[in-house]
Amino acid sequence: MTVEPSRIPVNGDESAAEFNALRKILLGPEQDRIEELAEEIHARELTTEELAEKLPEAIALRGSRDDQVGRALSPAIDTALREAIRRDPQEMASAIFPVLGPAIRKAIAETMSSLVRSINNAVEQSLSLNGMKWRVESWRTGVPYPEIVIKHALVYRVEQAFLVHAETGLLLEHVAALDLSVPDADLISSMLSAIQDFVRDSFRPTEGAMLRTFTVGEHTIQVEAGPRALLAVVIRGNAPDAVLHRQQTVLETLHMEFAGALADFNGDAAPFVSARPLLEDCLETVLSTSSRKKGSRVWLKWSIPLAILLFVIAGMWVRSSMRWNRALSALRAEPGLVVVDADRNFSSWEISGMRDPAARDPRTVLAGVGIAPKELTGRWEGYLSLNPALVAARARRTLDSLSKSIEESRVLFAPGSAVLDQSAVALLSSVAFRYRQLESAAAQSAAKPKLELIGRTDPTGRDETNAALAEQRSEAVSTWLESSGIRSQDLARNPIATGSPLSSPDSAEQARINRSVSFRITIFPLAPVAGRR
Amino acid sequence: MIQKKICMVGVHGTGKTCLVQQFVHSIFSVKYLSTVGVKIDRKEVRAGDTDVTLMLWDLEGRDGTRDISASYLRGAHGVILVADGTRVDTVDQLVDLRRIVDDAVGPVPSIVALNKIDLTDEWKLSQAEEAAAGGKDVHRVRTSAKTGEGVESAFQWLAEATLVAKAEES
Repeated sequence: MTVEPSRIPVNGDESAAEFNALRKILLGPEQDRIEELAEEIHARELTTEELAEKLPEAIALRGSRDDQVGRALSPAIDTALREAIRRDPQEMASAIFPVLGPAIRKAIAETMSSLVRSINNAVEQSLSLNGMKWRVESWRTGVPYPEIVIKHALVYRVEQAFLVHAETGLLLEHVAALDLSVPDADLISSMLSAIQDFVRDSFRPTEGAMLRTFTVGEHTIQVEAGPRALLAVVIRGNAPDAVLHRQQTVLETLHMEFAGALADFNGDAAPFVSARPLLEDCLETVLSTSSRKKGSRVWLKWSIPLAILLFVIAGMWVRSSMRWNRALSALRAEPGLVVVDADRNFSSWEISGMRDPAARDPRTVLAGVGIAPKELTGRWEGYLSLNPALVAARARRTLDSLSKSIEESRVLFAPGSAVLDQSAVALLSSVAFRYRQLESAAAQSAAKPKLELIGRTDPTGRDETNAALAEQRSEAVSTWLESSGIRSQDLARNPIATGSPLSSPDSAEQARINRSVSFRITIFPLAPVAGRR
Repeated sequence: MIQKKICMVGVHGTGKTCLVQQFVHSIFSVKYLSTVGVKIDRKEVRAGDTDVTLMLWDLEGRDGTRDISASYLRGAHGVILVADGTRVDTVDQLVDLRRIVDDAVGPVPSIVALNKIDLTDEWKLSQAEEAAAGGKDVHRVRTSAKTGEGVESAFQWLAEATLVAKAEES
């Protein structure tokens, strides 16, 4: 309620004072209330202003004392964040992207560098069959070794990435592996987009559907479409799903980071240069460098020949050992051989020991068991074995040599004579001496000799005369031997005269040697009782 | 580097492909036209102090059974409408083609190329008909695929027009 002072009739000071009093009566309370409210408003404004000024300090102060501020604010912040994300998720994602993007890139970079390390290891330390084969191929073709490795060990490689403006098909950005040059990326980009249109027009798929993957030879082109841009990658080999997921993530990130640039795109691709690092994240080369796996395969590949080789070596070793043992046991079993030291190496056997003169030659012994060592060395010392067989053999040899020497002796006579001349007597004493030796040697072997005296004549003269002469010659020898102490029963006279003559090419010589008495030794075993004793 | 998507449309046999063949960089063969229905070439033009790369989408010509594909027109920054000056029907259809383009991409810089001017004896258009070809508000140029006449200037004009259109838009 207001009263316009100009409409009040003014009669003088008095009336003015009255008017004022009246106004006070009528409007006083309202006036006061207005003033109060104005003060209140003023006070409140002051408080907010003051609060604004003090709030940060207050929060800091309280925060330093305890965490009540954080606790009190946390539900409100939670709600606010939820609300903000619900209202505009894109905004929120854009806000936190600068934090997440570098972290993701760093993680990828680390993965890549560890991959590179493992590739290097595989390359450096690859002594596998493949490694050597690839080295030969590299040397032969002149292509650097790492390229050969990549060619053979390549699982997949994401070689190129095209960022294409969805509406116009114009190329926004393109990245390719270092060794690739793609001069017409813009034409390819447009054609990719045209082919998308072509497929959509031709087959009329459901809304939003599109040509996502197509394969040409060893290349696969994988296209991901966003509302404003397509991201196409060219893959060599078989890529896992992870590539697709990364592609999707990169495309989403690009839509966030370049939302404005994509919406306003009018042919100028310059803003998208900064998308290169993101696109480069799509590129990768994956080799089959799982060296453990590869190693086990190599082992498997080698194991069969290796096993055969080991088997052959073991077989040869066993066979050689068996031969060696068989040879040693044959030599040890042989009478008159004592093996003292035996050693063998790759090419020769060295066996030393003691050997009785009567024992067989070790080589003969080995040949007897079917072993013919290439080279058998070693020294054999002579010794006398007490082995009964050897003792007998030794005695037999003595007997044989004595018998032989006696049988080779021949008592010669003058023509028609049976008289022992001087040389005949000398010969006979030697024969008698050897016969006694023979006798004692035979006794050791439980035997006794018998000496047969073969009397001969030359063919001249009559047979009767010759027979008598032969008889006389035998008797003369017999008599002499008996006189030297040889028992008559051990002597047997056999005057054969001209029967079974000794032969010689010269007839005079033949006649001379047949005018003789020669000897034949026979050795008889003694009676069994004596033998047993 | 500024890129512009340019579509070339016209009735079948008006010489669209021949018109640009010797002026552009191409990696795709002509058979794309009959298979995919479009062949894409590149033409670099200098407009003022700006390098412009024109990505030329050479759309398969309209014939009795098949109309030009609206999908390929999407996002075009400029259009070259080609007609054959020796065949009046190809000129008559320009208006209709312009309507299709307008429906697909809205008003974008367009140029009408009246082709085959080297065939002077067979030329069917009067000056008035030439001046009216393609309807109102359209730039016209006489071209010859055989001699190359008018082609470079057509590209030049269109490149500049798309840049101006962009400037006006922003």
